[in-house]
Amino acid sequence: MLEEMKREMQVRVRAFARLREAIGGDLTLEVPEGATMSRLLAAVGGTSEQAGEALFEENGELRGYVILMHNGRRVRRAEAGTLTLADGDEVALFPPVAGG
Amino acid sequence: MLTDRELERYRRQVALFGEEAQERLASARVVIVGAGGLGCPAALYLAAAGIGEVRLVDGDVVDRTNLNRQVLHGDRDVGRAKVESAAEKLRAQNLEITVVATYATVDDGNAAALVGGADLIVDAADNFRVRYILNRVALGARVPLIHGAVRGFYGQATTIVPGLTACLECIFPVAPPEEGIIPVVGTTPGIIGLVQANEAIKYITGTGDLLTDRLLVWDGRAATMTTLPVEREEDCRACGNGRCSRR
Repeated sequence: MLEEMKREMQVRVRAFARLREAIGGDLTLEVPEGATMSRLLAAVGGTSEQAGEALFEENGELRGYVILMHNGRRVRRAEAGTLTLADGDEVALFPPVAGG
Repeated sequence: MLTDRELERYRRQVALFGEEAQERLASARVVIVGAGGLGCPAALYLAAAGIGEVRLVDGDVVDRTNLNRQVLHGDRDVGRAKVESAAEKLRAQNLEITVVATYATVDDGNAAALVGGADLIVDAADNFRVRYILNRVALGARVPLIHGAVRGFYGQATTIVPGLTACLECIFPVAPPEEGIIPVVGTTPGIIGLVQANEAIKYITGTGDLLTDRLLVWDGRAATMTTLPVEREEDCRACGNGRCSRR
């Protein structure tokens, strides 16, 4: 019955453009230790309806054009499900724009 | 050799990077694809800087809704070809340079010819379909491409040197969605267009550090400019293993 409390870790999220507007600035999120990039993105998307819309398609898939960075390195969309984060990591999210 | 008149005109920037650099600007040919929000400020400042040949390519006409940001066009230009309207202002700005106006929409078939002979391509387009075409043409011709894009208060820019740096498809393997009407405040393409012009001047004169392998991100609401590191992707469809001939 006694389950060990899953420890939490803190990940800093730097959001840009519309996503920043949606989540109201930079964030520090608490996610379970060993959480993946996907888990973090779900948490960011859960902060508000606009944040969810900025990150995810209607079918729940991550929007393919959003640029994901982990500690200053680009992360491919396909890696998001397996890349595990560590306490104190920084994730940057940038939805590029297309107008001219 | 620069004439006395040119030396006078460009005195403040010759003081910055020297006569030889000014001569390089005078013999440079820059193609600007798009005479809209990004293209107008980029073209105006490149013309003022003394780029020898500024070639504008755009297949659109001026609409009244363009005037909040496309600063080379005014009320009296509504209905005119954007390249004609823009070229007129650029010629008035600088008598020393050649301005070529090409009224055409870039597509797969005409892109190579439209940008042929250019030393540099400025991506001032308003959609990623044209941008990907420009990227392929730039890679094929080994001509640098300076990307810029905007929406709302937000913009991005990067400089691509074929064979050396991340290309447009390395950075944006998936295009951002197309929108019917893209909301934008004029200052956003003003800022990004001038970042692009600044990159062009730096590239031609060999000054400073280019925006290569970096994506500049402008947030006009927060008033912050940041660069994010980007890198070449080995399996890029345009410049990596995914294409036919690898460098």
